[in-house]
This record gives sequence, structure tokens and C-alpha cells, in this order.
Amino acid sequence: MNRLLPRLALVVTVGGLLHSTRAAAQASSTTTKTARIRITQGPKIERADPDFAIITWTSNNPGGSPEHYGIVHYGTDAKKLTQTAKSPIRLNPGHSYTVFRVRMDGLKPRTTYYYTVDSIEANGNNDGVKSTVRHFTTPE
Amino acid sequence: MALSMTLAARKLSGQNAGGQASVQAYNPYPPGILPSDLNPEIERVRRELRMLEQRALERWHALKPPLLRGQPLTFQNTGTEAIETLGELMNYDQNISPNKNEACSFCHMPYAAFSGPIPSVNLTMIAYPGTVHFRAGKRTAQRYTYSPFFPVLQYNQIQGLFFGGNFFDSRSTGYLLRNPDAEQAQHPPVDTAEMGFPDTACIAFRLSQTEYRPLFEQVWGKGSFDIKFPLDTERICDTPGGAAVFGGGATPIPLSPEDRTRANIVYDHWGQSIDAYEQSLQVSAFSSKFDAFLKGSYKLTADEMAGLKLFDGKGNCNSCHLDGRGTTLKPGLADTSAPAIVNPLFTCFGSANEGLPLNPRNAIYYQTTPDSYGFTANPFGFGYRDLGLGTFLRSGFGSAPSPNSTWTQYAPSTDGQMQVTTARDVAMTPPQCPTTEAPGPYFQKEFFHNGYIKSLKQLVHFYNTRDKYKYNVTSGHCPPGTTEKVDCWPMPEISNNIDMTTGNLGLTDKEEDEIVAFLQALTDGYSRPYPNRDTFTGTCMTGSLAKTQGNELLIPTPKLPPCAMAICGVQPVPNPAIP
Repeated sequence: MNRLLPRLALVVTVGGLLHSTRAAAQASSTTTKTARIRITQGPKIERADPDFAIITWTSNNPGGSPEHYGIVHYGTDAKKLTQTAKSPIRLNPGHSYTVFRVRMDGLKPRTTYYYTVDSIEANGNNDGVKSTVRHFTTPE
Repeated sequence: MALSMTLAARKLSGQNAGGQASVQAYNPYPPGILPSDLNPEIERVRRELRMLEQRALERWHALKPPLLRGQPLTFQNTGTEAIETLGELMNYDQNISPNKNEACSFCHMPYAAFSGPIPSVNLTMIAYPGTVHFRAGKRTAQRYTYSPFFPVLQYNQIQGLFFGGNFFDSRSTGYLLRNPDAEQAQHPPVDTAEMGFPDTACIAFRLSQTEYRPLFEQVWGKGSFDIKFPLDTERICDTPGGAAVFGGGATPIPLSPEDRTRANIVYDHWGQSIDAYEQSLQVSAFSSKFDAFLKGSYKLTADEMAGLKLFDGKGNCNSCHLDGRGTTLKPGLADTSAPAIVNPLFTCFGSANEGLPLNPRNAIYYQTTPDSYGFTANPFGFGYRDLGLGTFLRSGFGSAPSPNSTWTQYAPSTDGQMQVTTARDVAMTPPQCPTTEAPGPYFQKEFFHNGYIKSLKQLVHFYNTRDKYKYNVTSGHCPPGTTEKVDCWPMPEISNNIDMTTGNLGLTDKEEDEIVAFLQALTDGYSRPYPNRDTFTGTCMTGSLAKTQGNELLIPTPKLPPCAMAICGVQPVPNPAIP
């Protein structure tokens, strides 16, 4: 606590003088949320290895927080998609579309997986996107 | 008294005051990890530092007499240059280390945009030797340029993201000085792997002995050094931090509470002065071709313009490296938009895990035994994993204490994340070695936090093809018929939270080159000379190809033990678990 007192005085005396030009306004901004977000391409399998896969799809730019997560709900039973994989991406406000790509680690070889996808903002708000249940099989 | 005698004995087995390599230098490294020219290269940089210090002294002596006016009192017309010059003098002062052999800029020289100045270190051990030869850190030397513009580290509840701070892991938060760059400057002088003082009061002690003390007292006040240091202060400050003799204590210099407070204030002023220098046009110059382009005084070449379009479009680089442009261009269109941001900084102040492979040449993995002071940097060897921001939020091993317990819960969602550095000046080199790219003549730099990438071509190719050429191997073990960094990317060191904005961009080879050309247009020094860029006295490199630059020095990663519990076992633990 005794360190705080002289620092408070310091801020008053020199802080404004030295740092008035500090640019703090260049962080990514939250953009207007798109009213209807829909998948325009995919989802599809970008690559599938014995223990790993990447699923990708494209939607119109959802807007909202600059970081989004692509979500894959998956499982080996089409009616029990209890597992989840998610990967972050950054929205580009200048783009009309957004490509989501999700890594799936820890898969088993020669196994068929069923999945659906959606996406969320970094704060957890859902984009309201849903896909039909699709499937793929990992190689040996 | 007992402490003093013990310190004296330790000193004999360390290094001499001239900073020459000791006969008992700490060398836990297998053959080939330390570059063969390390000692002459260290001496070369130290000579350059003396040249830079001399220039700063001349600048100080050329300052106009101060005129203190107004309320609050201000040095009218001269205050800014005075504090910037003070910071410059501090930056090149080798006395600010126990062995008087290492200044801040030893790892951050102007001709490399204030990043690592030794090509052979950039090719091999990636982290720079500290005042104790050859302790070394764990990451590349981050560029100073534009670091003062990062805001205080904050968690934005609306966006669910961290912004700001300094260092790759954002551990310099700015929580107290409200200035992360000034707090950043306070870390290396007491980092055991860098300048390595055992006590922050040593900075006040050594500053009180400097030639430029009058400038410090002019800027910060006459009574700044009215501190009663004990007689054995010199011996304590001669002994590197981490020495067993200190028993883990952070304040071995016994000072009264009043004197401790004064020493703390001097240390704050140290950080703020260096921040002033780093924010000045001497360092953050806004003088690149791109800046001239924004002002309408430079026309980007065809390749640079193509690179800009890709940077904003197909490459999606500006989703994090914000360039302030207003639109996404269609083929055949020129960018005539007004910039949305004045002087864009090419960073979003955020953090991301780009999925870099573990670099087995990193010096940190080998410092598993005690040095002559009884200090062991990394008892976990290859069990060390660099979780970046995640480890900092846990106040974990190799980082610093987090000042904010409400942030700890976010550690699992930030594991592996490193700060998004500005893209500005990523390509800066000394004039006589005009590029970072083989065949050159080129200046060998290192990229990303662990220096795995050795050229900008590789950097762009990594973003472009990381997932396309992913192999389930570690570095040095790409399958026969493939070439590492060309059509084989080893597995990420940390698989959690990998940013998937990039990784399979579909750029052609030519498009990669165009983005490199655009990155080179971000180098300061076009519209006016970049100060002190002319101080490199080493040798340029030639030959090879940018896409395989440095590949001749790849070594096989050993079989990795599990991530140490001191890193991956700290609550809240990584999710999923890190092997």
C-alpha cells in the first residue's frame, strides 16, 4: 500500500503530460449484429486424418464481437451429438462473408462421426446458425 | 556481514566487472545450441552500444537550457526532448546490470527495429544471453516500436476478450502506472535471464552513479536520489538475481521504508523515461512507405498494392493487424479509401495462438542445472510449455504475478495465446543488409515468440498453409519426401485455442511474395532517416532461399515428456489437457 501513495501523486503530476497522445482507440470494434445469419457454403470436411479433422463453412458476416467461435457438435451416434469442438476466428469488418474453421482433435481412426455446426460470439451469444446433421469417416 | 562475505565469494566464480565471458561461464547446452561466434558477437553489440550511448550523450549536451514555467510546472519547449533523451541514455546504459555488461538495447538494437541484433542467435538459441553468460530467456526479443501505444490490459466483458498489456504474454499490464510500456521497462532489469539485478533498488543505486544523473534530476527532481544506501549495496547489486544467497528474497538491500519508497519512485521514473523514448519519433517513427502512401506522397508499387489487397482480403491479415483501411477491394480496383484510423498500428492489441511448433533450439529447454550462483532457470527441461497469456493469468511459472484475480478464470480460453505484435517494422534491417530474406545480402531475423520462423516468406507461408501441410510430428521429424516449412508443418506446441482465421488461405506463391512486399513497405525510414539504423557493424548473410532459410540448422526435437505440473497442473487447468 505504501507504494501506491507516491504513484497516485505521480499520475496527477506527470501522467497527463506524458501520455496524452497514447492511442487506445485502435482495438477491434464490435460491429452491428447481422439480422439473419445463414450458412452459404458447407459445412464440409477440409481434411480428415485418423485422429484429427477440420470442418469448415462460410456464412454471411455475423457481426458482433470481433472474435467468434465456430462450434462443432459431434458424436458417433447421429442422435447423440454430445461432444463439442470449438475454434476461434476473427471477424473482418470489411468482409461480407466469414469463413469458420474448427479443429477436431482426439478422433479415432476408421470411425464415422456425425456432426452439426453453429457459431457464437466470444461472450457466448449464439449466432443462431444451425446445420443439418452430416457425417464423415476418419481414415486408417 | 555474513551476507557480504558470501556475496564476495560468489562474485569470484561469476564474471568480471568488464563483462567479459568468465572462465566458468554457465554452459548447460549440448554442442551446437550456442552459436560458435557468440562471444565475438556479444562484444560487437557492446561496442555498438557504446557508440549509441555516445550519440545520446551528445544529444543531451545539445539540449537547450530548461525553462520551468506554468502551473503545473512544465519545461517549456524542452520537456519532451529532455525526457526522451533521458530514456535514450538509460536504454543504452550497460551499467544497469550486475556485471555492467548489458543494456536494455543489448537485445533490442535500432537497426533491427529494436529486436534481436545477433543473426546467429536468431538462427539458433533464439533467446538472448543475460548478464550472466549464458543464462538466456525463453522468447525472442519483441520489438519496441509502437509498444507504447498498447493500452492498459483489460478484459472487455462485451467482447469476451483481453486487450492491451506489453510482452508476448501481456504480463506487463500497466495496472499501477497505467502505462504497460513503462511497466514493461521495469521487468528486464530484474529478470534473472536478462539484466538480472536482485533488487529493483539497484536501478536507483546505479542511476545515482551515472554521468547523466543531472539530466535525471532535472527531469524528475533534485531530491530523487536522496536515498541512504547501505555500504554493501554495490556488492549486492553486483550479484545476479536468483542467486541462492538471497534465499528467494526480492529486496535484499535493507532500506528504511522511506528510502524504499524513494527507490520505487526512481524505478517508476526509469520506466516512464524509457517509455517516452520508445514513443518518440526516434523509435516509433511513422515514416514508412505506407505512411507516405496514406499522406498521398508515395505510390505503392504493383507488388506492394497487390500485397495490401491481399492483406485486407484473401489473406485476412487485417482482421488482427488493423490497418485502418476502409474497404475490401475488388479485382482491378485501386485503394482510394480514406483511412478509418489515423496512423494505424497494425495490431488489434489482442492475443492469439497461431499454433507455432515447439522450437527445440530454444535455450530455455537446456537450463536444467544450477549455475554457479545456484540458480536453475528451468528445472522441467522439455517438460516446459509456453502457454503465454494463459500462464500469466494463472500467475504461473516463467511469467509474473497477475494483479487481478477475476482474470484467472479465463486462463483456459487463452492458453497458447501470444500478443498480436504490430506488423510495422517487421522487415527492418540494417541498410547494408537490405532485406530479411535469403538469398540477400540479408540480415537474419527471427519471427513469432519462439523464433521458429526465420523469414517473412516462411511467416506468410505458415499462415497460408499451416493446416494444409500439418503433420503429426515434432520439428526435425518431417516425413521423407517433404521439406519442413515448405510442405510440412510440425504439430503445434499448444493445440488449445488455435486461431483458425488463417491456416489454409489458398494464397499462391506469388501472392505470398506480394504480402511480403507489402510488409516491407511498413518499414520506417522512408520519409526521413530512421535514427541509429546505421550502427550495425556485423556481417550480412547471403545464399540459400527464403522458403528454407535456416533449415540447415533444424535439429530433431527429443521425445517430449508430459507438460510439467507446475505449468499445466495449475488451476484452472487447460481444457483439453495439454500432453
